Amino acid sequence: MFGYVEPDKPELKIREFDVFRGYYCSLCKTLGRNYGQVSRLTLNYDLAFLYVLLDSMSSLPINGKRQRCIAHPFKKRFVVFPNVFAEYSSDMNIILMYYNLEDKWSDEKNILGGTGALALKRAFKKTKKRHTEKCTAIENHLKALSDLEKQECDSIDEVAEEFGAIMREVFECKHIEDENDRKTLGWMGYNLGRWIYILDAYDDIEKDMKHNSYNPLVKQYDFKGDDISSFKETIREKVDFSLTYSLSEVEKAYSLLGVEKNKGILDNILYSGLIVKTDKVLHERGIKNEKESL
Amino acid sequence: MKKNPYKVLGIKEGASYDEIKRAYRELAKKYHPDRYQNNPLADLAEEKMREINEAYDTVMKNAGGNYQYRPDYEQSYDNSNASKGTYGQQYQQQQQSSSQSKSGYNYQHQYANESDLENRARMYINSGNLNEAQKILDRMKNRNAAWHYLQGLVFLRRGWYDRGYTNIQKAANMDPANFEYRNALNNLNQQYTGYRQNNYYRNSYNSSPDMCNLCINLWCADSLCECLGGDLIGCC
Repeated sequence: MFGYVEPDKPELKIREFDVFRGYYCSLCKTLGRNYGQVSRLTLNYDLAFLYVLLDSMSSLPINGKRQRCIAHPFKKRFVVFPNVFAEYSSDMNIILMYYNLEDKWSDEKNILGGTGALALKRAFKKTKKRHTEKCTAIENHLKALSDLEKQECDSIDEVAEEFGAIMREVFECKHIEDENDRKTLGWMGYNLGRWIYILDAYDDIEKDMKHNSYNPLVKQYDFKGDDISSFKETIREKVDFSLTYSLSEVEKAYSLLGVEKNKGILDNILYSGLIVKTDKVLHERGIKNEKESL
Repeated sequence: MKKNPYKVLGIKEGASYDEIKRAYRELAKKYHPDRYQNNPLADLAEEKMREINEAYDTVMKNAGGNYQYRPDYEQSYDNSNASKGTYGQQYQQQQQSSSQSKSGYNYQHQYANESDLENRARMYINSGNLNEAQKILDRMKNRNAAWHYLQGLVFLRRGWYDRGYTNIQKAANMDPANFEYRNALNNLNQQYTGYRQNNYYRNSYNSSPDMCNLCINLWCADSLCECLGGDLIGCC
């Protein structure tokens, strides 16, 4: 489900790549410091993007230093000094990953999900205390989402709405003071969530067919049981519109934020990375389930 | 506090006319109200546009000389404001008529009228009250082109683009002569292509010519030259 939001690496400047990785490392270290080493394994790019985005809305200069870490013990890498946004993004990472793993466990009895959720339990309790309201809101949307999935809802819009709403909660960061900016971020999160959900649904069609589990696209377009790849092809145009339109709304919200800091990185993700990812999934350009790696 | 107009336009002080115009054009394209139709952030975009217009006026005045009008976008912006104006008028008229009907007829009578419901739904959509609009749409029995159009607008505003598109498309198919429906459908397609063909993506390696293309182009050029009796590549 997570990890679709990535920069279009070949198009990044080396300096930009360094800074982006600096944010990623900073987030990873923050996770380790606050929630223990295991939690670092759950970090994903979506939350790194959120961290860069939120931090770019403050005009403070980017500070950091070259450091070593467990994953790369021999080479020092540039790491951005963490701030409130790092804390916030890492908290959100814990919340999303915990629910995600728990969901995997209760739905599919996925062992990895079960152990993961167990390992994150303490960290999650700690975050829940800090963000009680957000957790309640997210739980409500998750409940609605799983209800819709159980009822085998046949409208992709309706199901994606709930996931979008979860991401809206995540993006509406309380540390952003301007109310309009928060609202804009929320709309950005909603549309990004929608995009993630639909893209994931399209990506999972084969897997869901194999396990005979629910897939909103299969339901909505009433798959009759013939060739899966030709089915995917017939719905591609419709799905592409839904995905691209959601992204165009993400981009509109981003334009309104008028971010100057880290513009190169953010532009890269918003104007290219997301399109590249969309096309990769839609046209199956050999990325089969790289997101499986938790 | 007023923002520095040069900063708003993203230019240096002492920029030339052409630079100012170019910067203005870029920004006006970005925050143009057409792009923010059916978007909950439309008011923010409008505010931004106003800011840019003001900055442009100030900067041009500072630059001195005989400037009178803003290039292209200003006009279309005013037009879309004008179309909003007509919306506003409609809205007022509706309010007047509804207050008249409240005093004149009984309350029930007013609801019986389908076109009246349609107007009310439109009014709620314009003011952003989607729940009320949906309630009214659900009550309407006649599912004609107008109904599909309005339902489509509600979906779009909600962020349900799949259903939104389907409904608007249906409206345009049911009543192909209607300019408003066709316009809305074109706008949706425009948003799609506009995003996919953005400058960043267009100039990236993803869409740059590859070696195959180069060979084919050379081959074509050679064939064309040969047709005219010359030769570009001697060996073939």
